[in-house]
Amino acid sequence: MSALTTLERACAEVAAPGTDPGVLAALLAWSVLPRRTPDALRRQVRDDPTLTPSTLAGTPEELRRRVVAGLGRAALLSGAQAADAVVAAWRDREVRVAVLGDPAYPDRLAEGWPQLDPPVLLAVRGRTQLDTPAVAIVGSRRPSGYGTAIAAWLAEAAGAAGVRVVSGGALGIDAAAHRAALAVGGRTDVVLGCGHAVAYPRGHAAPGGLFAQLLGAGGVLVSELLPWEPPRPGPIRARNRIVAGLTDVVVVVEGGARSGALLTAGAAAERGRTVLAVPGDVRAPGSVAPHRLLAEGADPCTGPDDLLAVVQAASCPMTAPTSCAGPGTVSDPPHAGAAAAVVSVLPAPLHAELARRWPRPARIDDLAAACELPVGPLLAALTRARVAGELAEDADGVRLRRQPGGRPRPGAGPGA
Amino acid sequence: MSGLARLHAVALVGLEPHRVRIECARTTGLPGLRLVGLPDAAVREAADRVRTAIEHRGFTWPQERLVINLAPADLPKVGSSFDLPLALVVLAASGQLPAAALGGLWAAGELGLDGSLRSVAGLLPAASGAQRFGARRLMVPACAAAEAALVPGLSVLPAHDLRDAAQLLVGARAPRPVEARPPVSAPDGPDLAEVRGQLLARRAVELAAAGGHHLLLSGPPGCGKTMLAQRLHGLLPPLPPAAALEVAAIHSLAGERDPDRPLSLVPPLREPHHGASLAALIGGGSGVPRPGELSLAHHGLLLLDELLETPRHVLDALRQPLERGFVVLSRARARVTYPARVQLVAATNPCPCGHLGSPVRGCNCRPDRVERYRARLSGPLLDRLDLHVEVPPVDRAQLLGPADGEPTAVVARRVQRARAAAAGRWGPGALVARADPAQVRATARPAAVRCLVAALDRLSGSARGVDRALRVARTIADLDACDHIEVAHVEEALAYRLPMVGASP
Repeated sequence: MSALTTLERACAEVAAPGTDPGVLAALLAWSVLPRRTPDALRRQVRDDPTLTPSTLAGTPEELRRRVVAGLGRAALLSGAQAADAVVAAWRDREVRVAVLGDPAYPDRLAEGWPQLDPPVLLAVRGRTQLDTPAVAIVGSRRPSGYGTAIAAWLAEAAGAAGVRVVSGGALGIDAAAHRAALAVGGRTDVVLGCGHAVAYPRGHAAPGGLFAQLLGAGGVLVSELLPWEPPRPGPIRARNRIVAGLTDVVVVVEGGARSGALLTAGAAAERGRTVLAVPGDVRAPGSVAPHRLLAEGADPCTGPDDLLAVVQAASCPMTAPTSCAGPGTVSDPPHAGAAAAVVSVLPAPLHAELARRWPRPARIDDLAAACELPVGPLLAALTRARVAGELAEDADGVRLRRQPGGRPRPGAGPGA
Repeated sequence: MSGLARLHAVALVGLEPHRVRIECARTTGLPGLRLVGLPDAAVREAADRVRTAIEHRGFTWPQERLVINLAPADLPKVGSSFDLPLALVVLAASGQLPAAALGGLWAAGELGLDGSLRSVAGLLPAASGAQRFGARRLMVPACAAAEAALVPGLSVLPAHDLRDAAQLLVGARAPRPVEARPPVSAPDGPDLAEVRGQLLARRAVELAAAGGHHLLLSGPPGCGKTMLAQRLHGLLPPLPPAAALEVAAIHSLAGERDPDRPLSLVPPLREPHHGASLAALIGGGSGVPRPGELSLAHHGLLLLDELLETPRHVLDALRQPLERGFVVLSRARARVTYPARVQLVAATNPCPCGHLGSPVRGCNCRPDRVERYRARLSGPLLDRLDLHVEVPPVDRAQLLGPADGEPTAVVARRVQRARAAAAGRWGPGALVARADPAQVRATARPAAVRCLVAALDRLSGSARGVDRALRVARTIADLDACDHIEVAHVEEALAYRLPMVGASP
């Protein structure tokens, strides 16, 4: 018994505001035992009709009694000790843990309990509300330059409009979206496929990496797993439903036939969220997922306006009118005006060529041929533009980082 | 008992020649031959070859005890090049040759059982060693006379067999003069004009040729990385004769040189397979280590295809020689230094399957594998490769279109001019890639250096690689015929850095 009391005291340090440390302690003592998964915990809670989310928060004594009774003394003791290490790992990273039904637990994620399986425990690193307007930008880990460009374009507009950009924090499309949102000072959140104490993807979790940057910019890292859980296919797929649950709209940019982005889109549809898909090159392997979604009835996403319109429609009816200012003035995205006002450091023909191709990246050879510039001066100009932040580099070439001003919309024609 | 005969030969430890004095004396005792002075197995076997050869060519084997000393006695002697000198001292000691005929004579060559003479590996470094030790006359197998004659200031006595050798020495026959054949240069290699498109890669190849920079080409299979590397070889100017002789000496030592060929001024091009072992690449072997591909490419190009398939420990072993320009191989029995001043051209796929970044062909590699694949490149080895270029796949239209590129001859002229500019600044033979960083920096405009540091800081978050970028900028300036490194040169130089996966865009 005393082990559980000690654990309770430790839990008080990681419990989110409004979460009962006793409940958390009991759930943890149960969860850390061998072969217990978030899924098993969910079933355990779900199968007892008395433990709906509200009673979960309301009657800690009842829950504690049940968990303790179900565990047996020895198991409880070892569970409490193991849970201590878990709590310490969270505490070291300033993670706060909320239980389903608590005030700190985002309402929209709790929707649909128990059929939609929201996580019972939600470990959140970084302290920000998760109930503000948000968009999920998800896609392939092996994007084309086009996909990266579109993801960045959408995320930039969302970030500038004060809409959170949420995704799984993977390489590729996810990372492009997060980085673009950060670049315009937007907030961006990641739902991890592993525990908080595991560095995955390694580059993002490294000191100074993407995760550190987004935490510094007021974003959060979310995980339903215990801190030392490694990234395994099951939990990685399962986190996609959290991505969908935390957002108002899901945009799928690129993905293969078996992409996790399809799971996110499916979870979003189940929750009644809008799913948008970005049309791509019909020959490209990364266009399979968005095109399938379009065929199944998803709306095409042809630019930031489509996205922001959905966000605004989704957030206005349920929130106070004042917060409507959050999603921004859709008709006038600030990025377009800003880009048009800045004078480019690129020579005019080169800028024109890049603008013509945008958002598709261009290879240096093609640029040299199209602009009839020698390679040397061309490279010098491109470096100048990279330093000035005008240019982004992908696996298949360079492109303008921002949508070029004075050009209405993409999709109207880059035939290449 | 007079019967003491003397002769000189050269023992090689690696490329380093050592003077060996061979003395033969007749003593009392049972007939036989005793060899002293650290001969190895091949030298000890020489006794049998020498005896048979002597008898086969109509001489007689003395019915006395012979002692042959190879001095200095503490230097290990390796190989079959001592056959001819041993036979000659035996003949002189037994009175079949006048001892005076061996005065000031050096000799090298292997004997057959019938007394014929054969060439040996390492004859060229041995000959140039002999010349340095003050030898005037060097007797060599006739088939290798051309090789020995490459050494200036050495009179070469070519002999077909042992009888021929004796006749030459007693003056019964005048030596055939060995005509010094003019060195050859400029092979008709593949031409740069055949490369379609690839403007960026062509520029990088030109810079690499002009400045001697190490080059890394990254691109999918079939985009022409190897083709470009071979054309880089065609852009290199011919070697000065002294350098060509160094190259020939290493190839002679490795037994890779036809001794009958004239001196080649073409820089060597070596293309070891990526499965090559560490010993094959940097040199090694039992006893005295032999030169590896790295040394065989001395003053030339070392082309490493599939750089990332090369085992990590082999890549790591390349680092130090690339930096220092020579390889030191230390073994229990010998410590050998081989020159290895190579220009490295490395080619690699962008990911394990090779199709990353292809617009139509999907890449099957898991992203973390790609990252790990590329991470193998990062760090110290990458820092030594000045130029990184991505080579895109060539599309079909271009492949079928006309060959529209500049021919090798035109580009080579520009390369020559740029090299001449560097040589004019820092002395003959100077290459930008090997210039002292402070010297390079001294030729840069302050504004260019400021721009470089700021840009590096902005793009990679650190000022690492300033000197590397400045070297490339120096070469660009040389191609532009500018005395100072300007801002535009620095900006172009910065473009030759591979964007690393996962780096912030």
